[in-house]
Amino acid sequence: MWVIYFFCSNQLIFMSPAAIERPMLESACSKSSDESRRSFANLRGVQWRTDLGILPPLSSSTIDDLRKVTADSRRRYACLRRHLLVDPHLPKDGSNSPNLAIDNPLSQNPDSTWGRFFRNAELEKTVDQDLSRLYPEHGNYFQSTGCQGMLRRILLLWCLRHPEYGYRQGMHELLAPLLYVLHVDVERLSEVRKEYEDHFTDKFDGLSFQENDLRYNFDFKKYLDSMEDEIGSHGNATKVRSLDELDPEIQTIVLLSDAYGAEGELGIVLSEKFMEHDAYCMFDALMNGAHGAVAMADFFSPSPVGGSHSGLPPVIEASAALYHLLSVVDSSLHSHLVELGVEPQYFALRWLRVLFGREFSLENLLLIWDEIFAADKNKLEKGAGDDTGSTFGIFSSPQGALISAFAVSMILYLRSSLLSTENATICLQRLLKFPENIDLRKLIGKAKSLQALALGPSISSSSPRCGGAYNHSKSMVVRSHTLPSDSISPKTPLNMVPDSYWEEKWRVLHKAAEQRNGSSGKQNPTPKKGWTEKVRLSLSRTASDPSPAKAGCGNDHKPSVRRRLLEDLSQELGLDEDTEKAGCDEVSGQKDHICKVVEVENQDGVNNDFTCVAEERCLSGIAGSEENSSLFSDPSSPLSGANNHENDSEKSSVASNSSIDETDDHPEANHEDTTLPVSHLPNNATLNSGDNNEATGKSLAVPKERKLLSGKFQWFWKFGRSNDGEETSEKGNGALDVTKSANDAGSQSSTVCSSVDGSCYSSTTGDLVDQNMMGSLRNLGHSMLEHIQVIESVFQQDRVQVGSSDNFSKNVLVGKGQVTAMTALKELRKISNLLSEM
Amino acid sequence: MVLVLAIGDLHIPHRAADLPPKFKSMLVPGKIQHIICTGNLCIKEVHDYLKSLCPDLHITRGEYDEDSRYPETKTLTIGQFKLGICHGHQVIPWGDLDSLAMLQRQLDVDILIAGHTHQFKAYKHEGGVVINPGSATGAYSSFTYDVNPSFVLMDIDGLRVVVYVYELIDGEVKVDKIDFKKTATTRS
Repeated sequence: MWVIYFFCSNQLIFMSPAAIERPMLESACSKSSDESRRSFANLRGVQWRTDLGILPPLSSSTIDDLRKVTADSRRRYACLRRHLLVDPHLPKDGSNSPNLAIDNPLSQNPDSTWGRFFRNAELEKTVDQDLSRLYPEHGNYFQSTGCQGMLRRILLLWCLRHPEYGYRQGMHELLAPLLYVLHVDVERLSEVRKEYEDHFTDKFDGLSFQENDLRYNFDFKKYLDSMEDEIGSHGNATKVRSLDELDPEIQTIVLLSDAYGAEGELGIVLSEKFMEHDAYCMFDALMNGAHGAVAMADFFSPSPVGGSHSGLPPVIEASAALYHLLSVVDSSLHSHLVELGVEPQYFALRWLRVLFGREFSLENLLLIWDEIFAADKNKLEKGAGDDTGSTFGIFSSPQGALISAFAVSMILYLRSSLLSTENATICLQRLLKFPENIDLRKLIGKAKSLQALALGPSISSSSPRCGGAYNHSKSMVVRSHTLPSDSISPKTPLNMVPDSYWEEKWRVLHKAAEQRNGSSGKQNPTPKKGWTEKVRLSLSRTASDPSPAKAGCGNDHKPSVRRRLLEDLSQELGLDEDTEKAGCDEVSGQKDHICKVVEVENQDGVNNDFTCVAEERCLSGIAGSEENSSLFSDPSSPLSGANNHENDSEKSSVASNSSIDETDDHPEANHEDTTLPVSHLPNNATLNSGDNNEATGKSLAVPKERKLLSGKFQWFWKFGRSNDGEETSEKGNGALDVTKSANDAGSQSSTVCSSVDGSCYSSTTGDLVDQNMMGSLRNLGHSMLEHIQVIESVFQQDRVQVGSSDNFSKNVLVGKGQVTAMTALKELRKISNLLSEM
Repeated sequence: MVLVLAIGDLHIPHRAADLPPKFKSMLVPGKIQHIICTGNLCIKEVHDYLKSLCPDLHITRGEYDEDSRYPETKTLTIGQFKLGICHGHQVIPWGDLDSLAMLQRQLDVDILIAGHTHQFKAYKHEGGVVINPGSATGAYSSFTYDVNPSFVLMDIDGLRVVVYVYELIDGEVKVDKIDFKKTATTRS
């Protein structure tokens, strides 16, 4: 049979290979162009090789090209292997007189053959340690000697080729799936070969049979030799269909396994013999990030790579990027994790380094990698003046964004269980023990929508502001969710017996809030996120362009004022993203406090009827928003009206809000909304209107306290600014101006917000002057705020207790409150001393 | 692939203070899988030093060894080779190839390692090999004061043995290499 093969292929070449091969190829190509890139749907190995840039895309090249490229890559590997895997027993160049003073087993020279040999042996030992524990559940393949040998050689060669990285644990887990898909491909090939044996053997027979007379002039001797075989194939020839009639997939397999195309056997795209070569090429491409892809090797590198702005190791930077994306998508979860001190790299290091290999079963992992490899690898075009855009290198390509988006969607998958823990260790445990039975499709779908968000120009370029602003609105929105942890932490965990009156108060309030949320039929976060998203979306549609926003739509003036301030700031100064983000986070946290205190007072106003408070707040919220819409929303702008309306419905938890907004009823659709590009302005607007809605209602109840409070915060921030230095005072004034205008607008809550915002940005100006100093100062300021808040709430409580006659155990509580207040005041004094020293 | 160090006749502290520093710097742990020592160390400290290079240490007793527990001869199998060790002062005439070949037949080994003469020698004899690693410290012998420090490193790989001879001549380490191939048929 072999002879026939050879003979016929010769004949084909002799005739005109193109004439025969082309039509087949074209049919294959046209098929593949239909389903664009999934041309090797069932040949994952080939698909990945295409995605990783080892093979050219089939649509733009012929099988012959594929074969040539394949053969080249294999040749390179073989050459490398010959060069790097040294055997000291065999003199390399055949020269029998190597310099024995250098090339002997005890040589001290590291470049000697033996020196290299010993180093390799050491490396091999390390690699083997990991390999022996690789995928025990698929042990019958991965633990077989053949596979282990291949894996070992590939890893060894890669590490020798890239001494700057060396071998790091985890590399083997990146490689193993690659080898596995090749193995699966080859198995599939042999399956197909068995099934369609005729076509593998008869492809040329059939052709040669038709050209019967030509054959006689051609290599007659060989023909005689193969006469016997040929007789057998005569029978077959009758039922030979042309290759075109075959299933296109089988057709591809036949083409890819044809041993007689270009480069001969070396060019067989699917070849068991060259699995090692192919796996090495894939691994190399994956690690080095060919064609702009994310270079996995960077994740193993302990030092920052060139081009990173943060000066952090790439994996740490990517982890930070991941948290940044999380903070944009779900700030409450983000702040929860940050509060618990769960650093992203604790879990992201493992996730990223092995590209989620540890978190999913091999089958699922292959699906995930399908997506990751298939992602667009081209770097995004960035504007020349865009200096913050590349802060997170991982966001610079869609692939990197997809990786981080996938990680974020994994975190979001665990959202509820993460939020329910108050313990960093348990949080980490949950993150590192990812549930096995998951809806992968959903996860990937979510990751894709998040990817679009991560790639959105506003996130990757002006993301800090946007994220910060969004933080604000989010913290307002999900306030009821973050309240309990805020009010009770840091000193009392949630599950402890309440020892003070106001803590219990908060618990009851929170319960009421939860009930309220529960009554709206959905879990707390999703619909809320939904409407913010929605609002943001609608706002971004109309108001993303600054001038129409200012002129046309009757949104309030403050956002535009603030935005101008913001833009000035961002234009003048290349703001450091991280610090700014931190600042924003901090501010949002403080706003939580503010709201909390406000609610304490609100509560007092309604005479300690806690279970009613939530309801009360809803009602006042409705009233507030209604009033708001008359106050702020221009009738001609349906936008803010809708906004209020939505907010309204959300607040009052009316079940029929579906009539108002369809998307509220479809959390899935809401996720889609996140894909839309977001600019920072709408966020501010959202924030503001949200604020107003909320706070006007509240200020109806307790206007006086509000004023007092806002005044206090303003004073505090002024105090902080005066410490920051001269440069910031100007900006601070600007912020105060904003405050004034906001005051004029008549909303107390926005006074607080804008003053806080303003000081936030002014403090970020200070950051540029001295970031470190500012960071510590701001931390101090933050803790001061906390203490002030403690004192305030304690005093508040005292007042309540004095005022209400039906309070029991008054004396004890008052005494306790005073003690707390005293300690807090002491702390405060210490801190202010520190500040003044600085 | 196995690296076997053959060393002997150190005569520390009687005839030499220590190994030459150049040798000491070459002999590092982690490379050598077995040490074969023909004896005359003579003190326990040397034994400990050798043990630190490689824990798999095989020693026969020389006439000056303090430790009387060392055996007179020892055989071991490494890879496909059977090795015999003997100090050599028992074999008379000292260093005589025929006498050593007799011992080799007696022990039924492929490679016999014997010392005592303080002269490096390697013979291929009747399908076997007889190696004298010399004195690692260059201690004087009963024959001569003119002794170059030397030891032998054998690289045993399958049916092939590469003998590296390390000799310190005029303060320089000279390395020589001798190849031996065992024909598979000689083994029963």
